[in-house]
Amino acid sequence: MRAALATPKGVAGLVLVGGIVLLGVLGPLLAPYSPTQQVPGANLVGPSAAHWLGTDDVNRDVLSRTLAGIRVDLLVVFLAVPAGAALGMLVGLVTSWWKVTDVLTQRVFDLVLAFPTLILAIALAAVIGPGTTTIVLVVVAIEVPVFGRLVRTSLRTVREMPYVEAAQVVGARPWWLLRRHVLPNSLEPLTVQLALSMSVAVFIEGAMSFLGIGVKAPDPSLGSLLKDGTRLMYDAPFLSLGPLLVVVLLVLGLLLLAQSLSEAHRD
Amino acid sequence: MTAPHTRPSFLRLAAAAAASVLLLAGCSSAVGEQSSGSGASGDPVEGGTLRVAATTDHVPAAAFGQSSDVGNTLIGLVYDSLVEYPHDSLDAQPSLATSWEVAEDGRSITLQLRDDVTFHDGRPFTSEDVKFSIQTFADPAWAVQVQRTAAAVTGFDTSKPHEITLELAHPLSNILDLLDIVPIIDSETYDELKEAKTYNGTGPFRFTGWSPGSKMTFERNDDYWKGAPKLEAVDVQVVPDAQAQVAGLRSGQYDLALGVTARDVETLEQDPKFDVHSFEGATQQQYIGFQLENKDLQDVRLRQAVAYAVDRQRIVDELFRGAAVASGLPWSPSSPAYDEAKGQAYARDVAKAKALVAELGDVPVLPLQFAAGQPAGETIAQIVQANLEEVGIEVELKPTEFAQMYKQLVGAQFEGLWIFGHTYAQYSPATLTVSAFPFNAAHNASNFTDEEYLADSDASWKVADPTSEEARELFDRVNDHIVDNVWLTDLTTSYPRLVSTSAVHGIDYSKRTELLLDEAWKDQ
Repeated sequence: MRAALATPKGVAGLVLVGGIVLLGVLGPLLAPYSPTQQVPGANLVGPSAAHWLGTDDVNRDVLSRTLAGIRVDLLVVFLAVPAGAALGMLVGLVTSWWKVTDVLTQRVFDLVLAFPTLILAIALAAVIGPGTTTIVLVVVAIEVPVFGRLVRTSLRTVREMPYVEAAQVVGARPWWLLRRHVLPNSLEPLTVQLALSMSVAVFIEGAMSFLGIGVKAPDPSLGSLLKDGTRLMYDAPFLSLGPLLVVVLLVLGLLLLAQSLSEAHRD
Repeated sequence: MTAPHTRPSFLRLAAAAAASVLLLAGCSSAVGEQSSGSGASGDPVEGGTLRVAATTDHVPAAAFGQSSDVGNTLIGLVYDSLVEYPHDSLDAQPSLATSWEVAEDGRSITLQLRDDVTFHDGRPFTSEDVKFSIQTFADPAWAVQVQRTAAAVTGFDTSKPHEITLELAHPLSNILDLLDIVPIIDSETYDELKEAKTYNGTGPFRFTGWSPGSKMTFERNDDYWKGAPKLEAVDVQVVPDAQAQVAGLRSGQYDLALGVTARDVETLEQDPKFDVHSFEGATQQQYIGFQLENKDLQDVRLRQAVAYAVDRQRIVDELFRGAAVASGLPWSPSSPAYDEAKGQAYARDVAKAKALVAELGDVPVLPLQFAAGQPAGETIAQIVQANLEEVGIEVELKPTEFAQMYKQLVGAQFEGLWIFGHTYAQYSPATLTVSAFPFNAAHNASNFTDEEYLADSDASWKVADPTSEEARELFDRVNDHIVDNVWLTDLTTSYPRLVSTSAVHGIDYSKRTELLLDEAWKDQ
């Protein structure tokens, strides 16, 4: 992994993702206003020294809202995706060892994967209401079968290996085999998938908030900021620029990381 | 080990993600600046299809409830009413009724009907159709807001085909409002109407089809009794997104857009390629309602604090771009109930609001519902939320689907506070207080009940002349009830504004805010 991150693509990805993470973490210190503060008289003001990215139609500073919006995406990227990955790997490892549980689990995975992501998101939002929790749950629900199936593929390959069969002959228990042999040999493709899933998670947050089933007003997210910007595209095109740039750079950074990891893995 | 994804799949995903992000942010920016109008307005031209963009689709179960853009357009194009109000007064003018006379005791009205009118299927229009239409409006199943007034018509003399006498339970100050509002429908195709298969009226356009969620189409009625319209057809397309309507207007996809925001109206009216049509006289109000079955809202001081805290003028300036009036009462200056001073009784006063909140002590977090996907509702909700936070009242914004909002309005089922629009204040004041869901003294969306309000509302309803001194005194008392009890507080009064390309001419509207196109034409 270290070699992968030393490539130009890896460095570029790290810089982009690291920079945006830094902006999100330091956001409260950098933001000139509270993300929900309505500044009297500052209605759709263009970019200026007082408001670097302008203000929206409810008089809020767009820079402050963008910085706060990054934090929502970081929550989704660095909490929901790893949580979904961990859960998926656990389920995939445990259930794939025995044929009956394997078949049952794979059919459930089929069911979840057959749902278009946004339909699943809309259904979940209809049940528990829109909000950050809904986004996190949707991402977790989508990632569980992805990682579960990935780890299953690794397991099926590894368990055919002579050293695994030898271990079984001398009485090694399944859990020991999973922990000692299967998981370590699956880590590289899982890492690649993790980076890839993180970029998809940014897209899911954006799409859900854009459709109005993501973060609830007045709290911002990158998706809801893009939605507001689109609504006022003719009158205030500057509203979309900040959040759009952040989304593009974050997705690009994560994809570059995923690609460099994948290339290193193949080499 | 085999990598789960190959390089091309990464590239495809990267491209798809980037394209999706750009699509999310910029889908409506990809519009041309092509003009669809010639800018010339010479002699009227026959023919052509008017392409209309409407925000909300028809709801068959609420066809007469003024609940959607497409539904309102359907009523305006396909149907006629007995009388028509001019834009600027309540001086009813003949339509399907050529003249009328109210009995001295106010307990009946006799109308002479046109004898040269046929429905679109060729059947002649008669007094039986008037009876059927009013009885349909009196049926609670349709949940129309003027149901109480329609139900107050207790007898029908239809012995002559082109004359009808309506017997009234008591004098009705708003009987002509009812006759303006009720479209004349065909009893013989009523079952098809309920199933949204056929709408058979006497109006200038025939209904030709409806694709739910997509569009409703109409064709010219060559036998229209006022003379055939100039337009050959009208296509009303459902375009929920206001920005998409503007984009379609700019690119020449639509000739007329019904859901353009005030900000876009302001921009487009500077452009000679577009014309703005203001429906003056057909007022619409935005208001905050309070659910009185919610125990947290039963103390009038909290409702008063909300009314004082709200910055109505900011909503007028920033959302409506000055094209509205800030008032806590719904009446426009032409209404006999208009009272400027009482309309400003809750002018913004943060100190008073804070004092009222201080008297109450801890105020729990209150739910505030608004129609999801409608930018005006969301913007007002966020302004109100900030205003209330300033005085110590915390609200949780709850975006709610429009259809669900309407259902909760009719069923008086809101949770706490809500922001919505209402109309009917452009009619006789009694029409608002006995009919409109937020104000109806007998049963309103707030579940507010008050014997005195009901008595004064009913008394004003039963005065034959709504402009008489007796009626004005009663309206004054009705205003006092609204101001004192604050089961709702109005925010703004505005007129609907539509935008067309400058190639479109002769657009008109009814007092009911329905589009009228019998005189409209389009440059070829």
